[in-house]
Amino acid sequence: MSLLRSRILNSNLPRELIATCTLTPPHREPHHRQFSVLNRPPPNYEGHVPLTKTERVGMAIGSAVLAFLNPRRAETNKDLIATLGETTSQPYFITRLRDTMLLTPSGRRILRLRPRITSSTLSLPHLRSLPKNTLGHTYALWLDREGVSPDTRDAVKYIDDEECAYVMQRYRECHDFYHAITGLPVWREGEVALKGFEAVNLGLPMAGLSVAAVATLKKGERSRFWGVYGPWAVENGVGARCLIDVFWEELLERDVGEVRRELGIEMPVDLRGVRKAERERRRKGREEGERSGDGLGIN
Amino acid sequence: MSSIIPIRGTSLRNFNLLLQTAPRLVNSQFRPHTTSSNPSSVNPIEVSHFNALASTWWDPHGSSRLLHLMNPLRHDFIKRCHATQPTPVAKEGLRYLDIGCGGGIFAESAARLGSTGTVLGIDPTPEVLAVARKHARQDPGLQGKLEYRNMSIEGLPKPTSLNEQYDVLTLFEVIEHITHPADFLDACRDHVKPGGWVILSTIARTWTSWFTTKLMAEDVAGIVPKGTHDWGKYINEEELRAYFLGEQGMRSPPGWNGPQVMGVLYVPGVGWRSVTGSEKVGNYFFGIRRDE
Amino acid sequence: MNPVLSSLRARQLSGVRCRTCARLLRREKRSFATASGAGDPEGDPEIYDVVCVGGGPAGLSLLAALRSHPTTSRLRLALIETQSLTPLRTFAPQPDSYSNRCSSLTPASVGFLDGIGAWRHVRRERVMSYGGMRVWDGVSGESIGFDVDGGGGGVEGVKEEREGTEGSNGGVVAYMNENVNLTSALLRRIEELGGVDILEGEKVEDIAFGEDTPTADLTSWPVITTSSGTRLAARLLVGADGANSPVRTFAGIESRGWDYNRVGLVATLKLSGPGWGGEGKKIAYQRFLPTGPVAMLPLPGNMSTLVWSTTPALAARLKSLSPEDFCAMVNAAFRLRTPDLKFLHTIEGGQKDEVSWRETHTKFSREQVPQDVVAVQPGSIASFPLKFRHADSYISQRIALVGDAAHSVHPLAGQGLNQGQGDVEALTQNIIYNVEHGADIGTRMNLEGYGKERYWRNHVLMGVVDKLHKLYATENLGVVRVRSLGLGIVDRLEGVKGWVMRRAAGERGLF
Repeated sequence: MSLLRSRILNSNLPRELIATCTLTPPHREPHHRQFSVLNRPPPNYEGHVPLTKTERVGMAIGSAVLAFLNPRRAETNKDLIATLGETTSQPYFITRLRDTMLLTPSGRRILRLRPRITSSTLSLPHLRSLPKNTLGHTYALWLDREGVSPDTRDAVKYIDDEECAYVMQRYRECHDFYHAITGLPVWREGEVALKGFEAVNLGLPMAGLSVAAVATLKKGERSRFWGVYGPWAVENGVGARCLIDVFWEELLERDVGEVRRELGIEMPVDLRGVRKAERERRRKGREEGERSGDGLGIN
Repeated sequence: MSSIIPIRGTSLRNFNLLLQTAPRLVNSQFRPHTTSSNPSSVNPIEVSHFNALASTWWDPHGSSRLLHLMNPLRHDFIKRCHATQPTPVAKEGLRYLDIGCGGGIFAESAARLGSTGTVLGIDPTPEVLAVARKHARQDPGLQGKLEYRNMSIEGLPKPTSLNEQYDVLTLFEVIEHITHPADFLDACRDHVKPGGWVILSTIARTWTSWFTTKLMAEDVAGIVPKGTHDWGKYINEEELRAYFLGEQGMRSPPGWNGPQVMGVLYVPGVGWRSVTGSEKVGNYFFGIRRDE
Repeated sequence: MNPVLSSLRARQLSGVRCRTCARLLRREKRSFATASGAGDPEGDPEIYDVVCVGGGPAGLSLLAALRSHPTTSRLRLALIETQSLTPLRTFAPQPDSYSNRCSSLTPASVGFLDGIGAWRHVRRERVMSYGGMRVWDGVSGESIGFDVDGGGGGVEGVKEEREGTEGSNGGVVAYMNENVNLTSALLRRIEELGGVDILEGEKVEDIAFGEDTPTADLTSWPVITTSSGTRLAARLLVGADGANSPVRTFAGIESRGWDYNRVGLVATLKLSGPGWGGEGKKIAYQRFLPTGPVAMLPLPGNMSTLVWSTTPALAARLKSLSPEDFCAMVNAAFRLRTPDLKFLHTIEGGQKDEVSWRETHTKFSREQVPQDVVAVQPGSIASFPLKFRHADSYISQRIALVGDAAHSVHPLAGQGLNQGQGDVEALTQNIIYNVEHGADIGTRMNLEGYGKERYWRNHVLMGVVDKLHKLYATENLGVVRVRSLGLGIVDRLEGVKGWVMRRAAGERGLF
């Protein structure tokens, strides 16, 4: 090497050019440094658990398989989905999401102020008191209807970069806003539709993988996904602006329809309504069947 | 395809043998001749041939390109000869006589040198000389330093004093076109100052030179117009040496010393290169100094 | 024509003459010429061996080189320069203020300048040599380290070079120098040697072939008419007249290429210190951003010069910023990631605050980037469009092109001025060879050597520089991966690298 270098250097070659063609081992960022389970580095932030590559891959596969085999646990106990989300979004996807936020003033304000969405930062009674057409009211109404609280979110553990960890946290905490603004319920069918939307809109692999849960849906739900909610998710995921940099807290008093229009989101067909209508139709069908059966019995 | 013969050790040896024996197949150019009806050394057929060349003489991409490319080597060779002198050559005022100057490729360049006093170029072909004169007008710097005369060496008045003699008498690619070279060189002698030089270049009479100058250059590649060369008139370096130094029973005009030779080879894409020993094969320069 | 004049002229053009006499003669003739109005379009043109159009670094160094070599010192030379050269003669800079037009000079260029006796006229205290470079990919962060001694640490073993021997490498990658420092030194050298007729503040009004007069046939000689009506016939007309060369136009030589839709934004900056390694261990930094490379090149003390290749719109935004925000942007350019830079270019102010926040969230090693920019020299921010141009040929009958007249290259490798010096060196060698061999220095055939050698040398270098620009002007992840990987592979295959290097160095042949 040194021989070659000296030969090159002694030539009349423009040095700047040599420089641009001569590569030394890459200057690696500290958090990308290889380590083993025996010498795990100190955490980059409170609650951080640095993982080796093998651990990361193992946990990603494990959580995905478990969640698929045991969808009920995945729903009630969010840890599987959370682990899947964290282990599959690094290094590329979460960074990309953070970079998307860095490109807009609101995204940057979020990163700078790092707002959290909890029942203590958002006063639910206040939101309930807002006019009915507001985003805040819609959000509170949705929480009440679905019986969920903003405080059920796990803390991020496996994302190495402290800022990216916040982005993952933010995504999790905003997830209920996505529900509220689209009106999709937390049942598996609504969740799958929303995950499809998120996969396209945010580009998170976990959301994409979650769509696999469509296989665990009932036949009627599955065909509804392929016919109605799937296409809606793709169309709106692409058409809407990236939702990660929406400063929801600043929009609470705005008209929800206006917010939807600004973000480019169309409400999907109300899933609760559809299911209610479906149930109604089936009930009517049964009743009619009974009635005609009666008739036959009479005659 | 049939002409391609695989070269084996034996055939290579045979080829070498051919090259070495080639000169013997033709009698030396310096054979004595009895009658001389023509007072000039110049061959009339050659004169008309160079007429035809005149128009392309200064075309750098024409048939004289090889001569243009060779010209710097002529100066290098003259410098080399001068460097062998016991007394250093004068820094200015040198007088050149360029015989067979043609379009003036060498004569012009000699006239541009800082060390040159005057250059006289002579050539028997009027059209060629007209080209030379016309071309010299394109360089105002040559005025007063360069003169052309349409004549042969025999037409040039015999010098009566040292001042009329020349420091350098040049015969570039001339001698191979002369019918009786010995007489011609005899005539040149009087014009050289004591301590001055005769510098010439020519082609050795070998199979290689026949192959390159006659067959390849004239017939196959057509770089040089047909009839430019008469291979039978080519002179070898040892013949020149023998003539000037009076060896091998040659008629010996006395008073020459320090012969210099430089073989040159044309390498396509590179140009002319001085190659030691190549004087036995093809083009070469020869220089010899008149005794002081 | 007056017979006295014509005979004088003939003697002047002849190679042999006493120099003092010649000078006397010329002086006489000049006064004579003025009296008879030789400058007037009706008279015969003055005859010169070399007329150089353009008094930039290339033109001036050609004249200095020709005057300083014994073989060519007898040639009659003239310089035509549009602008007055007085600012060069009176160049008296403030110690802490630097021109924004700086160039890096390779040791080869400095060696040449030293050889022609010009380097000693350069104000050395304003020249900064550097021994190391750090070049990195602004998208992937892949870094390219380079230092002359080949040691590991970037700048280890770099000598105190400022007073050292010029031209010998001595641990120097290049010398940063203000262009005006170089041109004023060259002019001083030329005027010290004397003998160049300088026509300054005069434009080239017309170039046409001369006439066939009773004294000489100048139909192959370019005759230049200047704005003052002076006419000069040139045995060799050298176009050192920049990218829009009138000489090249006269010769009918096409210059081909493209615009990069980029500008080079330059500025003179003050950093928080003299560099991480102190005054003796200066380093040049270059980061390849998707919009173009940004380079910070060291000047003496805490000063540095910036060359930021970017789009015209972004450059306009940068120029409109307050000094604080501009400095913040320069700091950001070497530190922050692409999305941050993209955003920072969209806001009209407040960059300083944004940058200081983002620096806390961006991983970079402080000692691997230039020290903080603390101030920008007022009035030093400027920009110029970047182009790729290469003349089809550098020569024609009695014409030679040097420097920007022959080629314009992206500044990312800092080669523009050095290529021009290389041209001048080669052309000087060519002229010397021709004079020594009695050849007419102006004919196309005798210029061929110069034309071929420089064309191909520059062609290879310009090609590499252009490809580097294009390779790094993308954020496409695939391309980023491949370029980082590819460099790594080439780096490991020493044979391949050596071959590429030797080609780039202008060696001929395949192996």
